[in-house]
Amino acid sequence: MQGASLHKATESVPLRVTVNRSGALRFRLVLAMIVSYLAMMGFLIRSARHATQTAVVALDFSPAMVALASCMAFSVVLTGLFVFVWHGN
Amino acid sequence: MRIPRNCVLLFLATVSTFGAGGLAYSAQSGSQIHQAELSTIGFFVVFAALTLLISFWAARRATSSSEYLTAGSSVSSGQNGLAIAGDYMSAGAFLGLSGVIYTSGLDGMFLAASYLASWPIVLFLVAEPLRRLGKYSFADVLTHKLRERPIRVLAGASTLVIVSFYLVAQMVGAGELISLLFGIGYGAAVIMVGLLMIVFSTLGGMRAATWVQIIKAILMIGGSAMIATLVLIRFGFNMSDLFKTAASNHPNGSRIMDIRGFAQDAVATLSLGVGVLFGTAGLPHILMRFFTVSDERAARVSVFYATCLIGLFFAMLFVIGYGSIALLRGDTTYADASGALFGGNNLAPIHLARAVGGSILAGFISAVAFATILAVVSGLLIAGASSAANDLVVGLSGRQLDERMRLRISRIAAMVLGVLGILLGLACEGQNVAYLLALATAIAASANFPLLLLAIYWDGLTTRGAVVGGTFGLVSSVALTAMGPTVWSKVLGLGPAIFPYDSPALFTVPFTLFVCWLVSIARAEPEVDWRLAQPAVAQYVESSNA
Repeated sequence: MQGASLHKATESVPLRVTVNRSGALRFRLVLAMIVSYLAMMGFLIRSARHATQTAVVALDFSPAMVALASCMAFSVVLTGLFVFVWHGN
Repeated sequence: MRIPRNCVLLFLATVSTFGAGGLAYSAQSGSQIHQAELSTIGFFVVFAALTLLISFWAARRATSSSEYLTAGSSVSSGQNGLAIAGDYMSAGAFLGLSGVIYTSGLDGMFLAASYLASWPIVLFLVAEPLRRLGKYSFADVLTHKLRERPIRVLAGASTLVIVSFYLVAQMVGAGELISLLFGIGYGAAVIMVGLLMIVFSTLGGMRAATWVQIIKAILMIGGSAMIATLVLIRFGFNMSDLFKTAASNHPNGSRIMDIRGFAQDAVATLSLGVGVLFGTAGLPHILMRFFTVSDERAARVSVFYATCLIGLFFAMLFVIGYGSIALLRGDTTYADASGALFGGNNLAPIHLARAVGGSILAGFISAVAFATILAVVSGLLIAGASSAANDLVVGLSGRQLDERMRLRISRIAAMVLGVLGILLGLACEGQNVAYLLALATAIAASANFPLLLLAIYWDGLTTRGAVVGGTFGLVSSVALTAMGPTVWSKVLGLGPAIFPYDSPALFTVPFTLFVCWLVSIARAEPEVDWRLAQPAVAQYVESSNA
């Protein structure tokens, strides 16, 4: 085992990513994602608690399925907006 | 004539892997041998040979630690997007989530939605800083700001624990799959896959793992699309008919259209969701992927590609899950009277492939699932090996390693982790792999994510705060997971669980953040001119401000 010693830094090194425009946007987007996820969860809890056993005659996409699909679609759209609209990649 | 050492290793590994499989296979009774069909074995042999060839090709290039651990940062954004998607389309997701949908309906899709929702969080918070500041492991980012030795020891320990948990899920899936594929015992299957994965990851490194992931991701999406289309054809592309048949076959009836877990225990399901949501940003083998691309732009774009592909895959998994309820439940060829599938409920997509596409499609899907396991496990072993060499050994010894020593330690660590994976896989037979994956992700959310988040975005984090908080997150999440129903009651058989929830993330993530904050503000460390001391950090912040 050879090589240089590790650096002995004991300092707190500020990165201050949050003070710039990009950092603030990132946090807003994360909050948007978390809020949409929690909204989906809230809806699922509500629909699970109020679910009733219905006769199996005709079944379509349930409200819980729509909530899950919306959250998944929102994840993809938010990612795309950040990459292509904000950064122009 | 001098024979290259890699050639000898590859030859020995091939002989031992196929030899172990052959011995196990020939040890079975005649009736069991009939279960393994020629097409299945053919696909398996082709895939195993292909992965070994890729491994051999990559081994010739893996002469430095950066090539072995990060493919020389030369992977393109499209390739990395496919590889990340491949990491997520693991056996745990493919077999496990389908198994959960087969067992209890929409609960499996809740986990899928949580996994997908975690990707924007990875993109917004950690992908770019990781690419800019890191080289081999996420600890590189932390040590730009904090004292190196204690942080590397902590990061190494948490990475190895998370990798071990994640390995269990993959090995259980591998054991069940290969056991069905060859008609051999679960133990022999785990050992056979374990040997192959040790060879693959020890020789080929990240480049081999990336290319197998890419090929496998394409095949997995193609195979899933094929099964989903064939299921929809059976129902005339009428989802209502599919749901109706599924609901009439399932003992829970139309309740399979809702999340039953929430109705039973909202806190447990919420905790599982929080663990998955934040855990992806702490999974070592996912974070490693950002070191394989050349710059931050490639890291960003690769996350977008991955998110789209994962979303598409989960949409197909939805059809496969409900299709398996509609077509397999009640069919005595695939399930017993109680509805339990032969070989375990994790094998729902394999049985469904056979039901809608015959033995050739089943053989193809089995072989793709096998390649999935191999690729994901290799990525895990490389992430663990990287952390062992760059974090644990460096942190404990206090010295940087030279190139040769780093490469050697990485390969030894990959081998040791491979053996550990085999042993853990043998111990956890019969567990639901999606659940095991969620537990590993919960530990990543509690131990790694808070440290990364605070190190990048909070000026006040101190080394002491990070070490105390990170240790708290790791120990508390592992202890509470061990005391939860899955490990305490089902795996260890120690009676009623001490902690009522399987995933502790709802409690451990905020507590870890709180402990980091509390210890950091309790005793601040002196600041110095970090722009002079840490040019890479200054460069990152300046480019962010631009």
